[in-house]
Amino acid sequence: MISVVCVKVVPKSEEIRVDPDTMMLIREGVRSEINPPDMNALEMALSAKDRYGGQVYIISMGPPAFVPFLQAGVAMGADHIYLLSDFTLAGADTLATTYTLSKGIRKLGDVDLVFCGEESSDGATGQVPSGLSEWLNFAGLTLTTETALDIESGLARGRREIGGGYQILEVPLPCVVSVKTACNEPRFMDYERKEWAFDRERVTIWDAEQIDADPDLTGVKGSPTVVSGLSQAPVRNRKKQFLEGSPAEIADQIAEIILQNS
Amino acid sequence: MPLSLYNADNADQSIWVYLERDRDGLAGISLELLAKGRQLADQAGWILGGILLGSQNSELCRAAIAHGADEIWSAEHVLLADFTIDAYSRVMFEMILKGMPGVLLFGATPDGRDLAGCLAVRLRTGLNADCTGLRIRPGSGELVCDVSGFGGGVLALIEMGLNRPQMATVRPGVFSKFPPDWNRAGKLIEFPVLLKEADIQTRIIEKVSAEGVDLTQASLIIAGGRGIEGDFETLRELADILEGEVGGTRPPVDDGYIERERQIGQTGVVCSPKIAICCGISGAFHFIVGVEKAEVVIAINSDPGAPIFEHADYCVVGDVRTILPLLKESLQSQLVEEI
Amino acid sequence: MAKNLKLFDQNACDTYLLNEDLWEKVDERTSGSVNLCFQCGECTAVCPWGIVKEGALKVRSILRGAQLGIEDWEKDIWLCTNCDQCQLYCPRGVQIGDVFQALRSISWEKREVESGLPGMLWSIYWNDNPWSQPPSERFAWAGNSNVPVYDPSKHEFLLYIGCTSSFDNRLQRVAQALVRVLTAAGVRFGCLGAAEPCCGEPVKSVGHAPYFYETARSTIRVFKDAGVEKVITLSPHCYDVFKNHYNKVLEEEQFEVVHYSQILADLLEGGKVEFSSEWIARALENHYSWVTPEEILVTFQDPCYLGRKNNEYRAPRTLLSGIPGIKFLEMENHMQDGLCCGGGGGRMWLETPPGERFSDIRVMQALETGASILATACPFCLVCLEDSMRALGKENMFVLDVAELLDVAIAKPG
Repeated sequence: MISVVCVKVVPKSEEIRVDPDTMMLIREGVRSEINPPDMNALEMALSAKDRYGGQVYIISMGPPAFVPFLQAGVAMGADHIYLLSDFTLAGADTLATTYTLSKGIRKLGDVDLVFCGEESSDGATGQVPSGLSEWLNFAGLTLTTETALDIESGLARGRREIGGGYQILEVPLPCVVSVKTACNEPRFMDYERKEWAFDRERVTIWDAEQIDADPDLTGVKGSPTVVSGLSQAPVRNRKKQFLEGSPAEIADQIAEIILQNS
Repeated sequence: MPLSLYNADNADQSIWVYLERDRDGLAGISLELLAKGRQLADQAGWILGGILLGSQNSELCRAAIAHGADEIWSAEHVLLADFTIDAYSRVMFEMILKGMPGVLLFGATPDGRDLAGCLAVRLRTGLNADCTGLRIRPGSGELVCDVSGFGGGVLALIEMGLNRPQMATVRPGVFSKFPPDWNRAGKLIEFPVLLKEADIQTRIIEKVSAEGVDLTQASLIIAGGRGIEGDFETLRELADILEGEVGGTRPPVDDGYIERERQIGQTGVVCSPKIAICCGISGAFHFIVGVEKAEVVIAINSDPGAPIFEHADYCVVGDVRTILPLLKESLQSQLVEEI
Repeated sequence: MAKNLKLFDQNACDTYLLNEDLWEKVDERTSGSVNLCFQCGECTAVCPWGIVKEGALKVRSILRGAQLGIEDWEKDIWLCTNCDQCQLYCPRGVQIGDVFQALRSISWEKREVESGLPGMLWSIYWNDNPWSQPPSERFAWAGNSNVPVYDPSKHEFLLYIGCTSSFDNRLQRVAQALVRVLTAAGVRFGCLGAAEPCCGEPVKSVGHAPYFYETARSTIRVFKDAGVEKVITLSPHCYDVFKNHYNKVLEEEQFEVVHYSQILADLLEGGKVEFSSEWIARALENHYSWVTPEEILVTFQDPCYLGRKNNEYRAPRTLLSGIPGIKFLEMENHMQDGLCCGGGGGRMWLETPPGERFSDIRVMQALETGASILATACPFCLVCLEDSMRALGKENMFVLDVAELLDVAIAKPG
């Protein structure tokens, strides 16, 4: 059984600033991490590997600087990293990103499952999993907190959490599974595996040509949505305004505040 | 640039809203999008359409028109009774190619996001997620969206070139809904559905509807901590009046006063309501993490030194047992005035 | 007589499978200490778990299982708070704490650990602190108060605040107080600010030996690069790990470390620290709720990681007894027999159900002394005790760090 986990390395949200002069994101000096929901995706894929065997590959689109972060995923138990790295891929919106990832996944051959975190902490569109299903023409299980597989019958079941209730859905393999944030506890790295995991041999880097990507569909060129302006959101400094008066007066003030703001 | 299946030249001057339903009828988010859509349509001189898929649509079609839609594209079929991405996306895809709307809006709900994500790729068009503002440029008909990223730290303006439809998802509680006008007239377009069971890959094995609660979708949350001493009844009454949800910190959950699904904080739920009212909560940082995304935080605590006051917009040093019943009275009388 | 020879009914016994690999590992990781145990049971008898929940932690059985290679400990090994009460009374000097750590390290290899702990390690990996707090905000506690940034040419000591006190609202006040006290005492110190790394104690306390080594090596490097030679810690946990475990990580000359209570007690005894004679009057003017014009009765919670683990009982007592207007009282269990607050051994990251919290008992003991202040010198003790205080609804006793008391009483220049 071959599983692929789409992993994104993201800057820590609280450290990102917008340069007011250039209107661009200041990434220098900003710490990065694996997008937290992708850690849950990794855990789900590795749990499936524990139960059903097979291989788990990490796929990611980004610069070589991503590698040490992705290697933590190999230390957790993944088998190999495929990094799609090419300057033409940069600046992609979700349409171009899902297209590019799908080309990388196609190059891997027969894949049974693709796991992704439900959204990323930077853009947080949540569109990558369903977009990937489209490009790959795979079935999809979204907002999944648990999966079970029937490899012989070629079926996957997922528990989809929605609005306080849930559904158990069954789809044929191959399928894309979008994993609900915080649905499981990502295992810590296996220290007996760590040295092997952090070896450069675990990484394959492909450029746009190697994945046979159409240049009109990748990167900025392939992105129908365009960011036309960027600004720093005003820092949420709470007002810390103390309400005064008798309890009845305060209650009236609170009521007014609520009604004004809803 | 990927070419969408139709573009700005031949798109219809219309805004369509994908309508969802809940236990009581049209979902709140759909009503909010209809209200916003109506406003945009009026400004641009466009038509507002609604998309409704299901097995029995007539009542909801009427409601949608009353809430501002000019026309409803309704697809009724037994295989549409439950949401499946396969069936819904297939039917909607055909509808969209037929009607060619300029703008297509979805709620950023579980179903809405899934559907929007897959249709955007199928249509080779752009999709903006979790928009907090929408504008249509007069003349060009371009949709300009306000989107926040990086956990809310960065605001972006996003537009689309010539690809159509211009798609956007919006979270519940961002826009306000308007009361219905049952005298409004609108057109019903009954869309023929050609679906076979074989077209649907997704099998629903089990479905447990929302007996539980999803605090992440609530636009108003009233939360209780140790200070309310287990009196969640009062909080529930207030939540009912305000159409909000009740949450709690770890101690009342531990003591069994409320369910674990309602625990807010680092080890519980992280919410982003418009308003969070924190009652009898001291404000330890593992709780704060759960409400810091709220737009407005009101805190009531008898301890003037409670850390929660560092993280609140409106602070009340007082006894919740006194304040909350008075708040209930005040709200009841103020709401009566509004009607 | 022949009938009575049937002494041993094999069918009446439980059968255990002995895992050689297991006892070899425990033997190696405790440097043979586990073999000294002769099963007297003193450990189980004195373990504080016996006070809150009888039979909860059978230390003796766990030791026996470890000696034989029986995997029977399930979740019990995670109950240990590493308070060392058992070690104190063990007649053979068995390093019982090390046995538990060895068993925990084996649990990590089997991936059978308590929920929440992998997340805590990931937090240290991505954020340099175990509380999932943004690393860029680690120095926010200093606010605008001009906390000096460590400069080896100007400062004798690095003041090491630690993760918990850097981020927790309540404990940030202790950090601020300590800075003022050390400044008033004339100590030349600075902090590393947002660049301060984690000491790794949480990793060690939950038994992940290889990751602890990695974290410690990294912190040693940061200190070396910053030119650190002497460290004052706020927390006894950081103190203990720096003092007793870092030398096992890297066999080279490393920095010296003291707990803040030790250096201040020395300075007090050397006449370098003075208390203001009007501190009570001034404190009353400034509405410090824990100050009264009559004698202020104070009792002290001995932090396990300062007291039993490092034999330091004197320094905090010297400081407290030295403050004019304060009368010092001991609790029923004190010094070597001090009752653990329940926060050590990694338990700050694990849930302890109400009714099983050592700190609840400790608060009752403190109240029995009649003291109005329960003082401590450890951030975990402070948080646990204050939490219990609130849960028990006791409003007339204050939990304060020794640094906070000193901050109000010490004579400040100018």
